[in-house]
Amino acid sequence: MAAGKPSAVDERRAQFARYKQDVKARGKSFYPFAMFEDTVMSLVVVTVIVALAAVWKWTAWAPHHLGTHQGLLGPEYTAPADPGTTNFVPRPDWYFYFLFYLLRIFKWPETVFLGTVGVPTIALILLIALPFYDVRRERRLSRRPVAVVGLVLTILSMAILTWKGATASEALASEVIADVPNWISAEKLPPAAVPGAKLFAVAGCTACHTYLGTGSSNLGAPDLTTIGTRNLGIAFQIRHLQCPSCVNPGSPMPKFASLGTTRLHELAVFLEASKGKK
Amino acid sequence: MSTRRRQPSRMQQAVDFPLDWLEERSGLVGGVKYFLFRKVPADTNWMQTLGSATLTAFLVQTVTGVILAMYYQPTPNDAYASIVNITDHVTLGWLVRGMHKWGASVFIILMFLHMGRVFLFGAYKYPRELNWVLGVLLLVMGMAEGFTGYLLPWDQTAYWASVVGINLNGTAPFLGPWLAQFLRGGQDIGAETLARFYSLHMLVIPGAIFALIGLHLYLVIRLGVTSPPWSKEAAGADRADEPSQLREGLTRPAARGAGESE
Repeated sequence: MAAGKPSAVDERRAQFARYKQDVKARGKSFYPFAMFEDTVMSLVVVTVIVALAAVWKWTAWAPHHLGTHQGLLGPEYTAPADPGTTNFVPRPDWYFYFLFYLLRIFKWPETVFLGTVGVPTIALILLIALPFYDVRRERRLSRRPVAVVGLVLTILSMAILTWKGATASEALASEVIADVPNWISAEKLPPAAVPGAKLFAVAGCTACHTYLGTGSSNLGAPDLTTIGTRNLGIAFQIRHLQCPSCVNPGSPMPKFASLGTTRLHELAVFLEASKGKK
Repeated sequence: MSTRRRQPSRMQQAVDFPLDWLEERSGLVGGVKYFLFRKVPADTNWMQTLGSATLTAFLVQTVTGVILAMYYQPTPNDAYASIVNITDHVTLGWLVRGMHKWGASVFIILMFLHMGRVFLFGAYKYPRELNWVLGVLLLVMGMAEGFTGYLLPWDQTAYWASVVGINLNGTAPFLGPWLAQFLRGGQDIGAETLARFYSLHMLVIPGAIFALIGLHLYLVIRLGVTSPPWSKEAAGADRADEPSQLREGLTRPAARGAGESE
């Protein structure tokens, strides 16, 4: 076109020069005008933090003088860490729920990699690179339809993932153990597999795995209803339980070696006997 | 006392002397004056306080974190007991720990809100691209603080969330197993892991955050604050009195003009 047409780079440089002129000519001094608003907002932030701390303390501890009591905002502390007990449902802090729930969307083990690192990495790259692919000068929302749609979709998906992660059902050992008789009749488990079934219900397996619909798939671990049909063998099952990542490189499953050989053998018998509904 | 104009009072001299001394040797007084009295657009609004509110939340984390470090014991045998001691026995320990725990959530929320504001305002565009990148890095570092801090109470919640969290890091290709091994400091989560998380949580990551905040603020002061894009008096807006058809053409295609309302 015409030789005098300014390039996009010239346009934005000129705009920033105009910005500097305008601020110099018509701007306000940061102190005290903008700083007043900053100070008020900072006071609000500190007040909110103190209020949260107070509500946490006075609803968790005050009723029973017990820090492990579940108050409005959760207990002040749970039982001491014990690598030996495995019936604890792993749960991150709330701002990781969206990542946590993402794992549930992808199926174990083929695509779980997408949930753990694939999607988060792509999202992070898109976020960092935003100013380098959205290079238009335009800042008015009415003229940035793609940006607005992108923002709405991002907020919606983060909100839904966080909400789903927060309300995902947890399998409590006391509830799961009640299902063991159903498992025995549904899968026609032999008597030798019964101790293993009870152990499976209380040892924390159902924090990540499901069995005949019981348990939680929060972390995307596989359903074990028909694990026995793969005929992996009792020796393999024991080795796998002792050190999952040794047998299955990259497996995020914790080690269960602390259960001891006898109980691991019981679990392995149960798993091998699980051939699905009969 | 003398009230002559030309001769500053003794009080005035007492204030001026150390300031002049400092200014002559560091230029800091001029720097602070520049920071306080720099011009910002006349139409900035309350949404633009979210950045400084985030900084405030981080400073709360710093102060409460330093106090907690005076009482906390980063070993598997003592960590839990020291947390119970801080929560139940140390004077106002519950408040400091509560502020640190909930301040973390407030900090993360404010970072997301601040990022949303910058996105809405289009404030990441030229010439502020680098500041957006620094902001995203701060967000990642803030989340890393949340992850490493979660293990420190060494209770069941902390322990099992970290077991799974570290194992999930391990599923990443190439770097994953190495990262998981580095975080654990061995085959299992134990004393080494706790020491590592403690060091990362109170030295490495906060150091990185301080440095990034410094750069972030430097760029804010150098490049200036943006006007709300919908403002009639937005600083840097296209001039109405110098119509440029070329510029119009860039932002407002003529073909769409008919059906569009301003």
